[in-house]
Amino acid sequence: MLTINNLHVKIDNKEILKGFSLQINKGEIHAIMGPNGTGKSTLGNVLAGKEGYEITDGEIIFEGENLLELEAHERAQKGLFLAFQYPVEIPGVSNANFLKAAVNEQRKANGLDPIAPNEFLKMMREKMELVEMKKDFISRSVNQGFSGGEKKRNEIFQMAMLNPKLAILDETDSGLDIDALRIVANGVNKLHTSENAFIVITHYQRLLDYIIPDFVHVMFDGKIVKTGDKNLALELEEKGYEQFETI
Amino acid sequence: MLETLKNIKFQNKEQQQSLENAINIGMPTMKQEEWKYTYYNKILQNPFEIATQQKLSETKFDVELVPLLQEEKYKLVFIDGIFSAELSYFPQSHKFTFWNNNNIEQSNTGDFLLELNNALVGDGIFIEIQDGFSEEENIGIYYISTIENQIFNLKNKIKIGKNVQVKFSEYYINPNNISGYYNIVSYIDIAKDANVVWDKIQDGGEQYYLTDNTFVKQDRASVYTINTITVSGNIVRNNLVIDVDGEYAENHMNGLYLLHGKDHCDNRTLVRHNQPNTNSNELYKGILADNSTGVFNGKIIVAQIAQKTNAFQSNRNLLLSNDANIYTKPQLEIFADDVKCSHGATSSQIEDSELFYLQARGIGKEMAKSLLTLAFAGEVLERITEKNKNYIEEKIKSDLNIN
Repeated sequence: MLTINNLHVKIDNKEILKGFSLQINKGEIHAIMGPNGTGKSTLGNVLAGKEGYEITDGEIIFEGENLLELEAHERAQKGLFLAFQYPVEIPGVSNANFLKAAVNEQRKANGLDPIAPNEFLKMMREKMELVEMKKDFISRSVNQGFSGGEKKRNEIFQMAMLNPKLAILDETDSGLDIDALRIVANGVNKLHTSENAFIVITHYQRLLDYIIPDFVHVMFDGKIVKTGDKNLALELEEKGYEQFETI
Repeated sequence: MLETLKNIKFQNKEQQQSLENAINIGMPTMKQEEWKYTYYNKILQNPFEIATQQKLSETKFDVELVPLLQEEKYKLVFIDGIFSAELSYFPQSHKFTFWNNNNIEQSNTGDFLLELNNALVGDGIFIEIQDGFSEEENIGIYYISTIENQIFNLKNKIKIGKNVQVKFSEYYINPNNISGYYNIVSYIDIAKDANVVWDKIQDGGEQYYLTDNTFVKQDRASVYTINTITVSGNIVRNNLVIDVDGEYAENHMNGLYLLHGKDHCDNRTLVRHNQPNTNSNELYKGILADNSTGVFNGKIIVAQIAQKTNAFQSNRNLLLSNDANIYTKPQLEIFADDVKCSHGATSSQIEDSELFYLQARGIGKEMAKSLLTLAFAGEVLERITEKNKNYIEEKIKSDLNIN
């Protein structure tokens, strides 16, 4: 589904990703772990199409297409989803209107008619239950006045509504208490099928107790230095990232 | 046009005096602080003609051009500055007195626009609403232009009695987008415990000019809400003065200016808190695109005896282009020591992080900008009358291409 080959990315003339490569097939859950400053968020932002990054080498193929040639909204329409580490507040735009616009843009890109209002409402209510959102959520402005946990749950809620092929969770667990963590993990697990895939970017192993990864990659100094299964995460928890500094 | 004015001789003494006053005072210039950013001269450089009674009989106006008018129950309609009894209909209560009156009087205000208005005034509104009158339905005042290059002067006097509940809206309708200049002066007296809501919907097109001077006096425990929504205008200058003369009175001033092309909108407000325990709440928001210019000057004066006054003012601007300009100046003069007053002014562009968030969810850049712009306007829109809110929202959406 996704192939990243030898990706080199600079920001402000500083190279952050230094030959990053990764292969993701459908149905798989990949965890990417690493210390701060190693380029984890850069990876997420570059995949989503955020401006300001200079791609100096390498390629990204998503579902057979050159991802780097698509704009951010086109990538989302093709089924790529980034759950932000710090979701922004958007006063004046309600959660309902925001999602209706997103859902309809996706449908339009796929040659479908806009969603019927009652169908949309039904879908919203269903997905809200999945992440345990309160009823007033629909009319509230996007993320406005939300706690950290609520913002992260909103990311998972949006993921449920848009049903992406590839979802990248950028440190979704940061700042979450155990209850919020469980809700987020539960949401992801319920959405996981043999047709979609997940990249779970995390600093701590804890989330991976709830979202069991098929592969764990260690990212260090802008590239993947080791790949293993879920046990690698436990090993990292014990030994830390220092072991990679000599490589 | 100034030359034309100099050659006029009125029969009416008071008009003639005002005309001479205006000529002596001279037009506002940009050397004056209050007119620093608004080039009034541009208005009178146009070859405007003074609207006269004769013209009305010559024009045929098709009401169907104005759906808003058709749906309105109560309406006071002025076509090219002349009152149309045929198209108007006002509340049939003995407590509601209306007549078409030019309200000419002896005047020596020292203000060019006010003197000009008194000199040239044609028709105008005189309304007296007696104590206890209450009306749910909006009363619409329509200024409709059909003849090109006219200058319309209207002077309105509205006396609102005790405990009255009433809603007014003023509309500028210019179906053929012609050039014209409205110089409107309104005096509104609000008695005790009355609640008045007033929407000014200024949508006369990019070719019209408007100078609006509105003077309001509030008595004890009255509530006055004024919403000034400017959607177009070559030059629009609103001067609002509210004297809070009664304890426990409060007012809410909401403004929204949505400017494109070379529109210019200048909003001045002055609130004088003359009694203790009064509140004023001001929120003006501007959205400026292309080469448009916005000016905001909000002044609050709290007299020494006006203890426990709460006065809050905020002006926020969203600039959608590098060539748009906003000049904003809040002013607070506080002479009492037990008050809560604040003011704030901001100007910003669309937030990149908000834009990217929407794009990352599949919403294209243009649509995302539109959603964010509509959201910015929303804070003011939700404060105006439902009917007007829908009208303005539709206008913004079609401007921004959102469905």
